[in-house]
Amino acid sequence: MHIAEGFLPASHAVGWTVAAAPFVVHGARAVVTEVREHPESTLLLGAAGAFTFVLSAIKLPSVTGSSSHPTGTGVGAILFRPPVMALLGTVVLLFQALLLAHGGLTTLGANAFAFAVVGPWAGYGAYRLTRAAGAGLLPAVFAGVALADLATYVTTSVQLALAFPDASTGFAGALAKFLGVFALTQIPLAIGEGLLGVLLFRVLTTNARPELERLGVLKPAGNAA
Amino acid sequence: MTLAVDDAAWGSAWRRRAPGDKLLLSAGLVVCALLLPAWPGSLLVGLTAVVLALGPARVPARTFGRAVRWPLAFVAVGALTAVVTVDGGGLGWAPDAAARAGSLVGHALAGSAAVLLLATTTPMSDLLPALRRLRVPAAVIEVASVTYRLLFVLLDSLRTIREAQAARMGYSSLRRTYRSSGALAAAVLTRSWDRAGRLQEGLAGRGLETGLRVLPEALPSSRAFLAATVLGLGALVSATVVIA
Repeated sequence: MHIAEGFLPASHAVGWTVAAAPFVVHGARAVVTEVREHPESTLLLGAAGAFTFVLSAIKLPSVTGSSSHPTGTGVGAILFRPPVMALLGTVVLLFQALLLAHGGLTTLGANAFAFAVVGPWAGYGAYRLTRAAGAGLLPAVFAGVALADLATYVTTSVQLALAFPDASTGFAGALAKFLGVFALTQIPLAIGEGLLGVLLFRVLTTNARPELERLGVLKPAGNAA
Repeated sequence: MTLAVDDAAWGSAWRRRAPGDKLLLSAGLVVCALLLPAWPGSLLVGLTAVVLALGPARVPARTFGRAVRWPLAFVAVGALTAVVTVDGGGLGWAPDAAARAGSLVGHALAGSAAVLLLATTTPMSDLLPALRRLRVPAAVIEVASVTYRLLFVLLDSLRTIREAQAARMGYSSLRRTYRSSGALAAAVLTRSWDRAGRLQEGLAGRGLETGLRVLPEALPSSRAFLAATVLGLGALVSATVVIA
């Protein structure tokens, strides 16, 4: 669920756009360099963007019985790294705003900061830390994908609390309210997306091992990296 | 598989209008929705966007109505949460709850209608090249263009594979649903790589060296449309100031 068009005050919309811009520009530069050196990467990067969009169209049953959609950014961050996801995530958000009416244009910066910057970086950080701690690929994927999902909605809650502080308890009270509505309810769905990530990577390690080795997720020798 | 908003954009009477012209109109309405007071600014912006979309742009009312329904869930939950106050361990309404909620809903719905006016009249393949004028790098636009073209292919794959899985009882229990969803995501990802690889091979055979060059479609800008946009936005702002 992205922040709808017109929901944030103008100053917050501008502020979050400025905050997201360096990450998106950095991602764009990485993509420009990659495409200049390897023109054929355009197609693979486009396919990665399309996959992220389509992944968010998969319906995910949650433990609580309600149904929602994965963010897809955790899987993207592990496969394609966070800088690339900052750009691809923003492109996907633009498409969701203009093809599905999810999110908006003035809220694109705020949504990009949560969905394409914080989510992928938090998820990738959790993935790398779990791997560094000696865990296998699948537990690390679960940690990375679940945290990317949860971090996205915690960030959205912070953004909304900053924009709409509580009348009597200020930012802290508003944060508690928005976390309760947007992040607490997301925990079962984040666990669900983590499980989906594990099942996805389990199939990929069997059916698409060369691609995972090329992306650096697995070591070419055949042992998990 | 198609998307209703994209279908509406291709079939719109404004499809042949210059994307820059429509971008100026929608961006103007979006800024008005954001900056003008909710009463009567949001109402006027929302009405203008709906009348233009359903009237001259001939967007199907059902498509526009269904699309504008999507942001409603977030707007309703977000506005309700914003106007509930936490005090002394109990919940209550903020002093100006009704006015704040009305303002939030008004701004959001008017802004969403203004964005939808652009979305339902301008296909992505027209809009992306227009971003070159905003100094977005060509490589980024090419990646976004490939994303746009591939996502319909992948959505089609997603639907076909899911139907096949469902026919084999792949979604008959929670455990099977998760297992099928994981296999579905993996199948779509490997297909996207396969599709990109075959596209690359095809383009390499045709001499792909420096980017995906396509013949741009000439959609000339209309001075009358631009003048009407500027005058209309000016009238909208004036009317809001006078009434407010």
